[in-house]
Amino acid sequence: MKLVASGVQESLSGLDDNARFRTVVMPHIDEAYRLARWLTGNRTDAEDVVQDASLRAFRAIREFAGGSPRSWLLSIVRNTAYSWLRKNRPATIFTVEDLEAVELETAKPGESNDETPEAALIAKADAEQLRIAIAALPTPFRETLVLRDIEGLDYREIAEATEVPIGTVMSRLARARRRLIATIQNDR
Amino acid sequence: MTRSKSDDNSVLLVHAYLDGELDPANTLGITQQMAEAPALAAEAERVKALQQAIHERLPREAAPAGLHARIETSVGGLKRDRARPSWRAMAASIALTAMVTGSSTWLVASSQQQPTMVADALVSDHIRALMAPEPVDVASSDRHTVKPWFNGRIPSSPRVVDLGKEDFPLVGGRVDVVGRTPVSTLVYRRAKHLISLTAVPAESQYELDRSPRSVNGYNVVHWVENGVSYWAISDLEAKELDDFAQLFRTSQTVL
Repeated sequence: MKLVASGVQESLSGLDDNARFRTVVMPHIDEAYRLARWLTGNRTDAEDVVQDASLRAFRAIREFAGGSPRSWLLSIVRNTAYSWLRKNRPATIFTVEDLEAVELETAKPGESNDETPEAALIAKADAEQLRIAIAALPTPFRETLVLRDIEGLDYREIAEATEVPIGTVMSRLARARRRLIATIQNDR
Repeated sequence: MTRSKSDDNSVLLVHAYLDGELDPANTLGITQQMAEAPALAAEAERVKALQQAIHERLPREAAPAGLHARIETSVGGLKRDRARPSWRAMAASIALTAMVTGSSTWLVASSQQQPTMVADALVSDHIRALMAPEPVDVASSDRHTVKPWFNGRIPSSPRVVDLGKEDFPLVGGRVDVVGRTPVSTLVYRRAKHLISLTAVPAESQYELDRSPRSVNGYNVVHWVENGVSYWAISDLEAKELDDFAQLFRTSQTVL
């Protein structure tokens, strides 16, 4: 990953802003769109968020200084989506205090493994079940899970994109998955 | 059933192991633990099943047709939009720009000798921010959220003060671009008016008299402190914008 990243950075020198934008941002529009879709919950809003995020990325394109272009763009998409949610769906946004409460709550014993569903049951979950369960996750858990289990980012990239330490990525991911597993089990 | 801290850590390691994020030593450790603890092994099986179900049943949808093209168009428009005011201002100093080549030199030279150009660029940024769905990239009235957001986005860390008690609540921050240098802009609010406050690194003091007091109907207040050139831009009345600048300058930076 390091090699690729420095390759991108090197190939950027001498490019004007538009060419940089085409190199850094345009290859990752699909990922940007999917993240925005999971965060806003629908296609139209996701498109608006990605368009707005692209403009912001363009304005800040000189600021991209190596690292993963994908994480860089996704962090902008995420911030844009959060601004959008704050404005249009204030009820869905978690404050830091809410989040701490959620993390504490799910850290408590009991939520998880007293009744352990069989792996076979999880494996049978259908698309609709999975989609609803993921959509119901608190935003910070949802974005972490989506970036890992749907988009396939590694932990470092997720930490960059969501602007938290890797340890937080790890605990959010584990909690997000446990919540999904519990939801699927309760559906039965 | 109670779980200890080390149980929690083991769970995280199981997940990290399945994600291929562990080094060989940790991999060895956790596979041994899984062999000895059925609960951990069962966790691993469930997570694997979940990952596989997601992978097989939630296809990754491509962006709608036309989104790529719309983005390229809107970015192209932005480029032209940005260039216009700069070129107008540059026309007045064509001799200067002809001599200057490096982009950072351009900024220093322009901010020293042509505060008008900086003001023009920042007023354009302010207007563009007002037209966007949100005028900020990070929205928070908490300076402890806004200040760290700039880490890694711009070379210096801006001074962020809380003026909420004085009825200038912080709205958030964004990165603007002057010349080709990313700079920090804080956004404050007074009633329904937004104030963009941009910090531009300044090489030396320059003649403040030459800064415009208004551009395209927006009021501009400009001052220099500690080697940083500050620009406050708003549709607020000039008097109130002066008050804001005064409050910002005299407020303590509390970390």
